[in-house]
Amino acid sequence: MTDITAPATASQPVLCVQHLGKTFGEHTVLKDIDFTVNKGDVICIIGPSGSGKSTLLRCVNLFERPTSGKIVFCGDDNACQNPRLLRQRVGMVFQNFNLFNNLNVLHNCTLGPRKVLKMGKTEAETLAKKYLAAVGMDSYLNAKPKQLSGGQKQRVAIARALCMGPQVLLFDEPTSALDPEMVGEVLSVMSDLAQQGLTMLVVTHEMNFARNVANRVIFMDDGVIVEQGTPQQIFDAPQQQRTKDFLSRS
Amino acid sequence: MIAILQEYIVDILIGVGYTMLVAVIGTVVGLAIGVLIGVYRTLPCPRNKAAKFFKRAGDWVLGAYVEIFRGTPMMVQAMVIYWGFALLNNGQTLNVTFSGLFIVSINTGAYMAEIVRGGIISVDRGQTEGAHALGLSHTQTMFNVVLPQALRNILPSVSNEFVINIKDTSVLNVIGFTELFFVAKDIVTQTYQTFRTYLLVAIVYFILTFGISMLLRLCERKMDGKQNFKLLGSQNLDAQSYALEAQND
Repeated sequence: MTDITAPATASQPVLCVQHLGKTFGEHTVLKDIDFTVNKGDVICIIGPSGSGKSTLLRCVNLFERPTSGKIVFCGDDNACQNPRLLRQRVGMVFQNFNLFNNLNVLHNCTLGPRKVLKMGKTEAETLAKKYLAAVGMDSYLNAKPKQLSGGQKQRVAIARALCMGPQVLLFDEPTSALDPEMVGEVLSVMSDLAQQGLTMLVVTHEMNFARNVANRVIFMDDGVIVEQGTPQQIFDAPQQQRTKDFLSRS
Repeated sequence: MIAILQEYIVDILIGVGYTMLVAVIGTVVGLAIGVLIGVYRTLPCPRNKAAKFFKRAGDWVLGAYVEIFRGTPMMVQAMVIYWGFALLNNGQTLNVTFSGLFIVSINTGAYMAEIVRGGIISVDRGQTEGAHALGLSHTQTMFNVVLPQALRNILPSVSNEFVINIKDTSVLNVIGFTELFFVAKDIVTQTYQTFRTYLLVAIVYFILTFGISMLLRLCERKMDGKQNFKLLGSQNLDAQSYALEAQND
C-alpha cells in the first residue's frame, strides 16, 4: 500500500452534506452532520457500531430521506432532487456485495450502463471488461455470483459500480463480511482506485486502511461528527476523549 | 379395460385433449394474471396522496379477487359464472369451452397471485438496493433482476398448480365441458363398466400428471444453467494491458 499524505491540491467540492439530520420515529440517528467532499478526496468514516455511519452513507445517495438538512451535489442541482439521477453519479458498494444472482459477472457490470446510460451492447461489454480487468476479475466473465468467493464478489461489485463512471463512490463496510485474506485483496483494489484519483467515501473498521490511504478521517459517535482531520491528526493526536477511547481499543 | 380402451380410444383422446387444453391455457393465463397482480401489489407505496389512494384501492380490489376465488370451490364458481351469464343474457349461455378456459384461468390466477408475490418477496432486498444504487428504476429492477429469480423460485409451486389443474378440470363436467371425466361418465352410461372405466381414466390422469411433473423438473434444471463456468485463458496479459489503460484514463 502506498502512503498518500498530500491532501487534494486545489480543493474542488463535489458533494456537500449540509446540516444533515435523520430520525427514525422517536429515535435520532444523525444530528447536524456537516462536511464537504472534494474531488479526489478519500474520506474514511470510522466509529463504533450504531453511531450512524451507514445511515449517513445511505442518506448521501438518498436511500434514506434526510429528516433535515440536505445533500448538495455540486454542479448539478437536478441530481439532488432526483434520487435516480444522483445515484448515477454517486455509486455505492455494499457490505453484502448485492450482486444480481441471476446474471453472470459480465452482465452484472453491463446492466447499469445499458439500462440507465442507454449504452450499446458492445460498448458496455468493453467498458465492463476494462474495469473487471482493473479489479483482476476479467477471467471470470461467465461465472455466476454464487460460484465466486466473497472477495471476488466484492471486486465484481466494485467493477460494477465503476462502470457507471461515478464521480463519488461510497463504500459501506466493504470488507466486514470477508475473511482476512479476502480483506487484503479488496483493500488493495481500493487503494489502487484511490491512487488513480477516484473520490471515495468509505465507512470502515479497517484502521490501517484509514491511516494509510485516506486523506481525511471522520470519527463519528452517537450520530454526530466528534472529530475530523488528517489521518495523522486523528490517529496520532486525537483531541477528543471519545476518539482516544475508541482508538485505544482497536 | 383393454376392450374399453380399444373401443373408446378416440373419445378418450378427445377428453385428454380438452383436459390438457384447459390445464395448459389455465395455468399459463393464470400465471400471467399472477405476475401482473404480484408486480402491482409489491409496488412501493407512492408519496403523492392521490396516487397513494388509487394504489390502496387497487390493492383492495385485487385482495378481494384473490380471497373470493381462493375461498370458494371451483365447481361452484363454474356454475355461478356459467348460469349467471345465462341469466343476464336472457338464457343465452356462454360457449362451454370458453367458459371452461375462463373459469380455470381466473381461479388459477388467484392462487398464482399469492405464489408470485411470495416469489418476489423471497428475492433478497439487497439486490434491489444494488440495482437502485446503479440508478435503475423500480420497473427496470423488477424485470431485469427480481422477476427472473422470482419465477425460477416459484417454478415448483407453478408445476404444482399445473398438476392440480389437470385433475381439477374434471369439475367442469358440471357445465357440460367434454374433458376426460365427462368422457368417462359417457362411456359408463354406454358400457355399465363403472369400475374398469374409472380405473382406466385414473391411469390416464396419472400418466398426464406424472409426465408433466417430469417435464417441469427438466425445465427447472435447464433454468439453473451450468453448474461450472469456464475460466477465460491468457487473462494475465490482458489484465496488464487493461490495468495500464485504466491508469492512463
